[in-house]
Amino acid sequence: MVQYNFKKITVVPSGKDFIDIILSRTQRQTPTVVHKGYAISRLRQFYMRKVRFTQQNFHEKLSTIIEEFPRLDDIHPFYGDLLHVLYNKDHYKLALGQINTARNIIGKIAKDYVRLLKYGDSLYRCKCLKVAALGRMCTVVKRIGPSLAYLEQIRQHMARLPSIDPNARTILICGYPNVGKSSFINKITRADVDVQPYAFTTKSLFVGHTDYKYLRYQVIDTPGILDRPFEDRNIIEMCSITALAHLRAAVLFFLDISGSCGYSITQQAALFHSIKSLFMNKPLIIVCNKIDLQPLDGLSEEDMKMVTDMKTEAIKTLVAQGGEPNDDGVLLTMSTLTDDGVISVKNAACERLLNQRVEIKMKSKKINDCLNRFHVAIPKPRDDKERPPCIPQAVLETRVKENSDQKRKLEKDLENENGGAGVYSASLRKHYILANDDWKEDLMPEILDGHNVYDFVDPDILNRLEELEREEGLRLEAEENEAEFEMDGNELTAEESEALAEIRKRKSLLIQEHRIKKSTAESRPTVPRKFDKERKFTIKRMGRQLSSLGLNPTAAINRATCKRKRSSTRDGDGDGGNAMDIDVEQVKRRKLRNTRESKLANRHPRDIVPLGIKDSEQARQARKIKWKAEKLRNKAARRGEADRVIPNLKPKHLFSGKRSIGKTQRR
Amino acid sequence: MATRLQFENCCDIGVFSKLSNAYCLVAIGGSESFYSVFESELANVIPVVKTSIAGTRIIGRMCAGNKNGLLVPHSTTDQELMHLRNSLPDQVVVQRIEERLSALGNCIACNDYVALTHPDLDRETEELIADILGVEVFRQTVAGNILVGSYCLFSNKGGLVHPHTSVEDLDELSTLLQVPLVAGTVNRGSEVIAAGLTANDWTAFCGSDTTATELSVIESVFKLRESQPSMIVNEMRKSLIDSYV
Repeated sequence: MVQYNFKKITVVPSGKDFIDIILSRTQRQTPTVVHKGYAISRLRQFYMRKVRFTQQNFHEKLSTIIEEFPRLDDIHPFYGDLLHVLYNKDHYKLALGQINTARNIIGKIAKDYVRLLKYGDSLYRCKCLKVAALGRMCTVVKRIGPSLAYLEQIRQHMARLPSIDPNARTILICGYPNVGKSSFINKITRADVDVQPYAFTTKSLFVGHTDYKYLRYQVIDTPGILDRPFEDRNIIEMCSITALAHLRAAVLFFLDISGSCGYSITQQAALFHSIKSLFMNKPLIIVCNKIDLQPLDGLSEEDMKMVTDMKTEAIKTLVAQGGEPNDDGVLLTMSTLTDDGVISVKNAACERLLNQRVEIKMKSKKINDCLNRFHVAIPKPRDDKERPPCIPQAVLETRVKENSDQKRKLEKDLENENGGAGVYSASLRKHYILANDDWKEDLMPEILDGHNVYDFVDPDILNRLEELEREEGLRLEAEENEAEFEMDGNELTAEESEALAEIRKRKSLLIQEHRIKKSTAESRPTVPRKFDKERKFTIKRMGRQLSSLGLNPTAAINRATCKRKRSSTRDGDGDGGNAMDIDVEQVKRRKLRNTRESKLANRHPRDIVPLGIKDSEQARQARKIKWKAEKLRNKAARRGEADRVIPNLKPKHLFSGKRSIGKTQRR
Repeated sequence: MATRLQFENCCDIGVFSKLSNAYCLVAIGGSESFYSVFESELANVIPVVKTSIAGTRIIGRMCAGNKNGLLVPHSTTDQELMHLRNSLPDQVVVQRIEERLSALGNCIACNDYVALTHPDLDRETEELIADILGVEVFRQTVAGNILVGSYCLFSNKGGLVHPHTSVEDLDELSTLLQVPLVAGTVNRGSEVIAAGLTANDWTAFCGSDTTATELSVIESVFKLRESQPSMIVNEMRKSLIDSYV
C-alpha cells in the first residue's frame, strides 16, 4: 500500500548554501597538496579528480531533489490535484525541470573540462582549468536559486499537509462557510480544529479519526465552498472541491437551516445543485445543522421545498449506486451546540459508507478467499456426553462484586516499591501449595553424595515409610518370640558339649592337614638374610628352641641338613642357599669345595659340549649356523647400524650465539 | 473479557504463557509487568505460576495441559518439575513425557474434553494424553498444518483456528471438538493463533497488536462478556468483510 507521507523529503538548500556545501565537500574530501615538481600526469590527475568529484556531488544532490519530490502524474489523483491547486502544477514541474537541466549542464561542463585538463601542460594551467570548471558549475546552480527556494517552500508546506489515505474509509464534510463543519468534526473526533464565528476559519483540509463498529474512519473537514463559477474559486475552496472530486467517501453536506451563517437556504441549495455532480456514486447525507436555532419543521414553505428538492437529488445518487430508494438516513437534523443528533449523523454516515464498500467488495473475486472467515461452525452432536465449561465458582463471585473489593497488591507494585525491574527479584516459592507453609523456603539440595536427589523423591514417601515401619514392627515382634524360644534350649548336656568339642577339634585338624598339604617348597618357612644379619638362626639354635618347647628336634635337623646338602650339590654355589644351615665347621668345608667347584661353574657355557655333538669345534659351527639362520634380514632396507653415517658436524648447542662481534649470551 | 498485553515488547504472548481452567503458567521475564497482568486477572481464582521449562521462556510452546493435568517435555529439569508440582494443586497431575517432538504446545491442542494432536506423535504419548488429561485424542491437521497446537486454540466454549481453514474443515473440526469454531487471526493478521492468544473458559489474553475487530471476534467466539458466536455472522459481518477483503 502506498503511503502518502511527504514529511520525509530532504531539505532543499538555497542556491548559495548549495554551492558552499558542495565546494567545502570538494575541499575536504579530495587531496589538497600538490607541487610543481610532480609529473604532469599526476598534476592532471589531481585536478581532474577535483572537477569530477564536484560534478558527482552536484549530480547526487540534485538527483535526490528530483527523486524525492512526488511526480504529480504518478501519485493518487487526489494528491495530484491538491498539489496542483496549492502549488500550481506548471510552476512545480518547471522548477523540477530546471533542476534537471542544471544537472545535465553541470555534467556536460565537467566532461568538457576533464577533456581540456588532459591537455594541461603545467600546474598553473591545470589549476586555472579547474577553477573555471568549478566556477561555471556554481554559476549554473546560482541560476536555479529561485527554483530551489520555491521547492524548499513547497517542501515545508507539504510536510504540514494532513496525512490523508485516499483509499481508507473516509467521511467528507462539506458545505457553505460557517455552517458548523468544524464543530462537528471536533465533536466526533479528537482533531481539535479551530472554530470561530466567521467564514473561512478553516483554510485547508483537516483530518480526524473516529471508530464505528470496530473500524476506523478518517473524517475530513474541508474549507467552506461558495456558490460561484468554478474558475472564480480561490485556492481554499478548491481544496474542498479536490477532496470531493477524488475521494471515495461518504459525503455530509451541511446545511445551516437557521441562516445564521449569513447565507440563505436558497444560496446553499444553489451550491448543492451546482456541485451535485461531485456527489455521484457516493453515499450522500444532507445534514441540517443548528436546529437549536431553527427546527426543521418551522421552515417556511419555499425553504422546505428547497430542502425536499435536495433530498430527492440525494436519493437519486443513492439509486444511481444501486441502492433501493428509501429516504431514511438521507436527510438528518442535528445541533452541534446541544449535541442533538450528532452521533446519529455519524452513525448513519459510517453505516452508509460501510454498506457501500461491502457491496463493492462482495462483487470482487477476493471475497471467495475470505468466505470461511465469516462462517461460524456450529458443532453437530456426535455423542450424548455433556461437555460443560469449567468456570470456578470464585470467578462468578468476583464478577458479581467486581468493584466492591479493594485492589489486590500486585507483584508489579512490589517490584516498584523494591527498586524496580532488574533490582527486585521475586521468590518463585512464594505461592507454593504445601501442607505446611514453613516448608516453602526450605532448601532442597539438587545433588547429594553424587546422587540426583530428585531421582529419589517419591510423592508417596510418607505412606511407604508407614508401611515399612509397620512391617518392621511385625518382624521385631517375631524375632523377640524366637529369641525367647532359643533361650529355652540353651543349656547343653555334658555329652553334647563333649561331642561339640570333638567336632571342633576334628575340624581344626582337618584344616591344619590341608594347610600342610598345600604348602610347597616355596612356602616353607625361611628367614630372609636381612633379618638374619648376625647369622644367629642356625640349625643348632632351631634344635635348642625345639627342645625347649619339649619337641624332638632330630627330624627337623635331619631334614634341614639333608636339604642343604641337596641344594648345595645342585646349585654349585652354596652362597645362594639356605642361611639357616650355616655354621662354622661347614663354612670351612665349603671354602674348600668352592675352589674345586668354581672351575666347573666358571666354564663358559659355549665350552660345554651339548649331547649329540662331537666336540667343541662342531658345537661352535652349529652355533654359527643357528645364529645366521636366526638373523633377521633387512628386507625393507631401513637404516641400520651398518649404514655409513656422518654425524652432525655443527651441533647447534656448540655453535649458536657465537658471533664474530659481541653477544655470545644469546643462544 | 479479553486483555491485550505484551511480553517484553513481543506480541506473541501465547508463547510465553499457558492458560488453562485450573492454572496459569507465565514465563520469567525481566520485569513483573507481564506476570502482573495475569495476576490481577486470575490470582484470586487459580494459581499463576512463574516458571521456565527446559530452561527456556517459551513455556507456552513447550507444554500442553488442561484442568486435569500438565504435560511437560523430557527436557524439563527435575527442579522445574518439582517447582511445578509444588505450585500446582494436587488434582493437577504434572507428568514429564518421553516424546521425540518436545514442543508439546505446538503438537497438542486441547480443552478439558478433547485434544487434537500432531499426526506423528508416539502411540504411548497419545495414551498418556488420554490418561493424564482425561481427553479424547484425535490426530488432525488444521488448514494443512500439522502443528495443530500452534494454529488453533479452543476452550470448552469455543475456538479460533487458522484463517485458511476451509468451511468444510471448520465444520468437521467443530463436530470433533464439540465447540463452535471460527477461522480468524490475531495480532493484526498473524496466522499463528496460539502464539498470539491464550484463553480459558472465562477469560482470554491476546497480543497488543490485536485489532478491535480481531478482539471482538475472539470475545464472541470464546463467549466472553455475554457475546455469542452468532454475533460474528450477524452484527459484525460487514465490518469483517470491509477489513479482510
